[in-house]
Amino acid sequence: MNWLAIKREAHFLLRKKQVVLILVAALALSLFAVWTGSKEVAQQHATIERLLKADAQDRQAVLEQQHDYGGVAYYSFHLTYSAPSPLAFASLGVRDVYPWKHRIRMLALEGQIHESDTENPELALAGRIDFAFVISVLAPFLLILLLHDLRASERAAGRLELLTISNASGAGLWLTRAMILSVTLGFALLLPFWIGAILHQVGWITGIGVTLLCLLYLGFWALLSYSVAKLPSPAPMLASILLGVWLITSYIVPAVGHVVIEKSITGPKGGDILMTQREAVNDAWDLPFSETFDPFVETHPEWENYTQMPSLFDWKWYYAFQQVGDQKAQALSEEYRRVAQEKYQLANLFAVRSPATALQRILSYWAQTDAEAAREYEQSVRNFHQSLREFYYPLLFKKPPFKREAIQQRPEFTPNRSTQTNASAG
Amino acid sequence: MSEIVIQADNLCVAVGSKKILNNVNFIAHKGDVLALLGGNGAGKSTTIKTFLGLIPPSLGSAQILGQAVHQNTQLVRQKVAYLPESVMLYGHLNAIENIRYFLSLGKKPTSEQVIHATLEKVALQPQAWQRPLGEYSKGMRQKTAIALALLREAPILFLDEPTSGLDPVAIDEFNQLVTQLSAQGVTIFMVTHDVYGACHVANRIGLLRDGEIVDMFNAPENGNIDTEAVHVAFAQGGRT
Repeated sequence: MNWLAIKREAHFLLRKKQVVLILVAALALSLFAVWTGSKEVAQQHATIERLLKADAQDRQAVLEQQHDYGGVAYYSFHLTYSAPSPLAFASLGVRDVYPWKHRIRMLALEGQIHESDTENPELALAGRIDFAFVISVLAPFLLILLLHDLRASERAAGRLELLTISNASGAGLWLTRAMILSVTLGFALLLPFWIGAILHQVGWITGIGVTLLCLLYLGFWALLSYSVAKLPSPAPMLASILLGVWLITSYIVPAVGHVVIEKSITGPKGGDILMTQREAVNDAWDLPFSETFDPFVETHPEWENYTQMPSLFDWKWYYAFQQVGDQKAQALSEEYRRVAQEKYQLANLFAVRSPATALQRILSYWAQTDAEAAREYEQSVRNFHQSLREFYYPLLFKKPPFKREAIQQRPEFTPNRSTQTNASAG
Repeated sequence: MSEIVIQADNLCVAVGSKKILNNVNFIAHKGDVLALLGGNGAGKSTTIKTFLGLIPPSLGSAQILGQAVHQNTQLVRQKVAYLPESVMLYGHLNAIENIRYFLSLGKKPTSEQVIHATLEKVALQPQAWQRPLGEYSKGMRQKTAIALALLREAPILFLDEPTSGLDPVAIDEFNQLVTQLSAQGVTIFMVTHDVYGACHVANRIGLLRDGEIVDMFNAPENGNIDTEAVHVAFAQGGRT
């Protein structure tokens, strides 16, 4: 393969209408995917910005209206969120399935987390038109269209023998053609990504990593298509073989995987956790105080001597039974997370058999839009909520005089992937 | 005696259990025009494809300039030009672009003037040169392919039904061209149904029937092969 041959074949191939049509379609699809991804990410950023402002104003208003710590804790909402990463525009992952923002209160937490989660979805199937979908599912299809009849079309046109005799570079001609078509397709698909990556300020290492990963993936399909295109069969048969492989690996394996995972690993639903926690909280109103304080002090022995009730209602009792509601749902919640983790790991095993799914999972992992990132965010919400409790409990149980300045020390949610440091006690 | 350029030596070709060629023997010297005549399914195209390295012999050998084609395929292909029976060059390219492309494949680029001269030589009208081949008639495509074969400047030409699709005037011009090339020392191997055309240009004619050479005719010194004799042999199935 030399430069002259590459130039000649590029000039030759790019004058074929069907080649140009496929390349333009690839560019248009990729542009559309990057545009929709960018739009979605921009909307999420705008939502966060808007909510952050409203959230701060809302809490300030509550603070001005309330005259005790229990009231401030009850009426204050705290925005928690997971902002989309710079790479999220390319792989939106499961951000439409798992909630990425909450308005958390000092009440029982599990119900607040699982309020919008009743499906416990795990293995996201292909379907969304983001860049990850275009490159993992549609790109192989376009590559197959370009390469399957590399030789067969020449054979059908009665040119193969003349080409074989005339060609001094042997198999180099087919390799050159396959490489030019694959590289041009890769360029058409990656160009919009590079533009998106610059606009979204994706790091160089991540950008290069995504590019190399996509090229590796396209290289796999190009090699497969090139190998099948060598067979002395008619173009429709070669296309059927390749499309069969594409269909099985891109759709059937993930679909079967989804069914197998859902059937083989069962666990509590988000709704079960929600109901358990809410019923525990609702029941607590009618139970003796000891039914709340006994389990509460088991987890918070430091407040054992502060559980006397001076009246029929006290905020410390109210927040204690909120916590006990969480404690009653804790086993279910832990099981829910264990099952989700197990499903995630099994989904990884299925992804090994489906290159398209594997690529999507890697991209969503890098973009921090996968189920792992969602669980890390969920954990960061738990940590933040825990820090709120740690802040309010001394004020509720020891009952110092109400001072609005004391609330300035209240923790603020800090979005961060690290689950250990998300909540900062201010 | 000049050097042997093309030689079939007990050449056998089989596809599965079916014998396509059976102990075929012939030779062509430098400047010879060797025509292989035969009906449909006689094995003419298989013979040509074996010499082009497209089909491997099951026994014996096909040799070009003393080299077995199947052991030196790429080397041998550089010495030959091939004109297929049904010429399908690229329909979206014009005649000059097609020629340039195929010559570039063979690493034999040539000048625009030489291409024009050759197209004129094969009598392709200049106004058609810039038109896409998809708009050409079969005869015009054939002329383009003949020009391409000539431009490869190969010492050996393999022609598969070369006058198929040409009008009588073009056939006449083609025959003159073959004679001219032969006089220049180009060795030509053609397979054809056309008894009269073959007798007109060839100095050796082999009759192929069911994969076997059943008769061989040689032209007398400064004369043509007797058309009548070949025709009778062809009509009787070979043996005279």
